[in-house]
Amino acid sequence: MEPSQLKSNKQVIHKNPWFLGILLCIFVVSVLASIPIEKRKYGLSQSNLTTDYTGLLPERIKKIVKAGDRSEIQEMVKEANEMGYHISIAGLQHSQGGHTYYKDNVVLDMKTFNKVLEIDKQNQTIKVESGASWEEVQEAIQPYGLALKVTQSQSIFTIGGSLSVNAHGRDIRFGPMAGTVREMTILTPTGEIKTVTRNDSEEWMKYVFGGYGLFGVILDVTLELTENDVYTIHTEELKTNEYEDYFANLIRNDDTSMHYARVSVAPNSFLDEMYVIDYIKTGKVDHKTPLKKERGARIGKLALDIGRQGGSLEDLFWENQKLLIKSLDGDEVTRNNAMRGNSAFMEFTKPGRVEVLQEFFIPVEHYEEYMSDLKRILPPNDKNDDFKIHNITVRYAAKDDYTYLNYAKEDMFGLVILIQHGLKEKEIHNAKTIIQEWTDLTLKHGGGYYLPYYHYQSKEQFRKSYPSWEMFQEEKLIRDPNGVFQNIFYDYYF
Amino acid sequence: MKIISERYVPLVVSVGQVVIFPYYILWLKEVSLTLTLFTWFFAAFSFSAALGYRLFQVGKKPADSFIPYIYMGMGCVYILVGYITSTFEVLPYIALFFQVILGLLQGYHHAWHIEQKSFRLHAINHYLLVGIIMIGLSSVKIISPISFISTFGAILFICGMGLLIKKSKDSSVSN
Ligand SMILES: Cc1cc2nc3c(=O)[nH]c(=O)nc-3n(C[C@H](O)[C@H](O)[C@H](O)COP(=O)(O)OP(=O)(O)OC[C@H]3O[C@@H](n4cnc5c(N)ncnc54)[C@H](O)[C@@H]3O)c2cc1C
Repeated sequence: MEPSQLKSNKQVIHKNPWFLGILLCIFVVSVLASIPIEKRKYGLSQSNLTTDYTGLLPERIKKIVKAGDRSEIQEMVKEANEMGYHISIAGLQHSQGGHTYYKDNVVLDMKTFNKVLEIDKQNQTIKVESGASWEEVQEAIQPYGLALKVTQSQSIFTIGGSLSVNAHGRDIRFGPMAGTVREMTILTPTGEIKTVTRNDSEEWMKYVFGGYGLFGVILDVTLELTENDVYTIHTEELKTNEYEDYFANLIRNDDTSMHYARVSVAPNSFLDEMYVIDYIKTGKVDHKTPLKKERGARIGKLALDIGRQGGSLEDLFWENQKLLIKSLDGDEVTRNNAMRGNSAFMEFTKPGRVEVLQEFFIPVEHYEEYMSDLKRILPPNDKNDDFKIHNITVRYAAKDDYTYLNYAKEDMFGLVILIQHGLKEKEIHNAKTIIQEWTDLTLKHGGGYYLPYYHYQSKEQFRKSYPSWEMFQEEKLIRDPNGVFQNIFYDYYF
Repeated sequence: MKIISERYVPLVVSVGQVVIFPYYILWLKEVSLTLTLFTWFFAAFSFSAALGYRLFQVGKKPADSFIPYIYMGMGCVYILVGYITSTFEVLPYIALFFQVILGLLQGYHHAWHIEQKSFRLHAINHYLLVGIIMIGLSSVKIISPISFISTFGAILFICGMGLLIKKSKDSSVSN
């Protein structure tokens, strides 16, 4: 070919509308696929107002201290005793009721205090600093074929934060998270460093666990671990009134290690339909399968956003969810991977609105009556309401004798509820009214509610849900005479 | 009437685009979650403008017949930008779509415009007008950027409609 012809061909190609159209399509499709999910803006800030996961309680704080070594933290606590200022402790700030900060006072940011100190393969334990996240712990123990006994369904929280709320997750065998701690080092409110165990006569663990950072700083913990078992996933669709029997069977049969369920909030099957997901032992232990990374967040978010529209779109979302869950039936998963659910897809960033969590606990044998009573106070279709319910998950929380501010006074089902409402005063007030009514109903059935979330409940409801609050407060005054550890949560309820 | 369509309407469009762009960029910046995405949005605009430009060039001339629709299309995009308040999660996707539409229309309009006899004269008027209007707008404090964007959208839409009406009148006269 003549060089001049080549040249003119080249010119033709980049001016060709087909070429330009294809270039544009390829580019647009690749941009579409790369649009990131927006992260909500929250967290510690000294120059601006500080918030936590919901951003509902913005406050100006005096200072953020990043946890360095333990003697530095000890010095700070002693200084606070002398000078009379308050300290709040912050992990990853997923709690939603101002538990991690206090107006015009100091925040101790524990995120940097995250070293793995020791892994004992023989005795299946790990000693780790409290600012480490479950994700970091999983990365450390996975190569040994070990896994955690109890965590939340996601691994995005710190150990200190999780123990301070005495979190619970999908495991139905190992009891409360507090029960999986063999030993712990704490920094007491008066500035002493102590190593404590469950048999400790001063009962520090009982106050520090589920103590919302009010009884001292957890420095490190020695956690009991278990094998990284491989499970087969079993899923099934149920009617709500079949669930109690289903669960009674499940808990009797030792084969199932983990379990959770989801209740429909779609108008057509509102609180009538459920599906369950069980993790059944295969007898195999896994050393090799890598920890899963979050995938499909964009699609998950899109699906959730469709569900968020309510009405028939929520019905569509529920039907799709059921199909998706059905498709998991028979799959195999390691324990570590079952304990690291996705979280990015939940991001919600609509201006002027907020998405919050609430959790109600209900004695196992009250579940069915409770659900049918609940139908009387909640509308099945919230499409045109400001207060919208997007999701209800059910978990099992075994009776807890390890903490004073305990939510599981007997074996309970925890109903985790994802709620969206507006931020105008009227809308917050409306949400408060509905949630208080819901809490009253829960109390009527012998249940209670979870404290790491925003305090829609009244002080009176708190006292009914946590009858040992008085003892908790008395002990707080004795162990922290100068009120060194303080946060918005304590200020509101006590 | 010929004068209006050939001289003043394109002037309003091209001057208006430049004037409104800072406000539109503000909106787009808020919608883009990252600087990278912001840049990609503009790349999408440019690629589709290239396509729009070329589509005009390869089309049968004179291509005046599409121009009213081009203005109305641009107007709709700007009006929609002004109206979107709540669909926040999908906003970046919508913004990308808008960028492609705007780019395409802008490229087409530009290719058409530079072939018009009055283009040279416009270039001077254009710069003068842009400067004066921008100084004027900067002193208006009450209206939010979004209102400027949707007002401009409405103006474009009216221009497009005006041209269409004029055209149908012209054709009925010539019939
Ligand atoms: C999307 C989402 C899903 C959730 N899922 C579950 C679930 O499945 N099960 C469940 O039980 N909970 C769940 N939660 C609640 C969660 O467990 C708590 O919010 C937990 O506190 C989060 O840990 P964090 O590191 O963010 O703690 P933060 O919110 O930072 O702190 C929580 C409390 O712990 C205190 N604290 C933090 N670190 C220390 C320390 N080193 N020493 C002493 N006190 C400390 C703080 O002062 C505060 O009172 C969920 C929350 C969210 C937002």
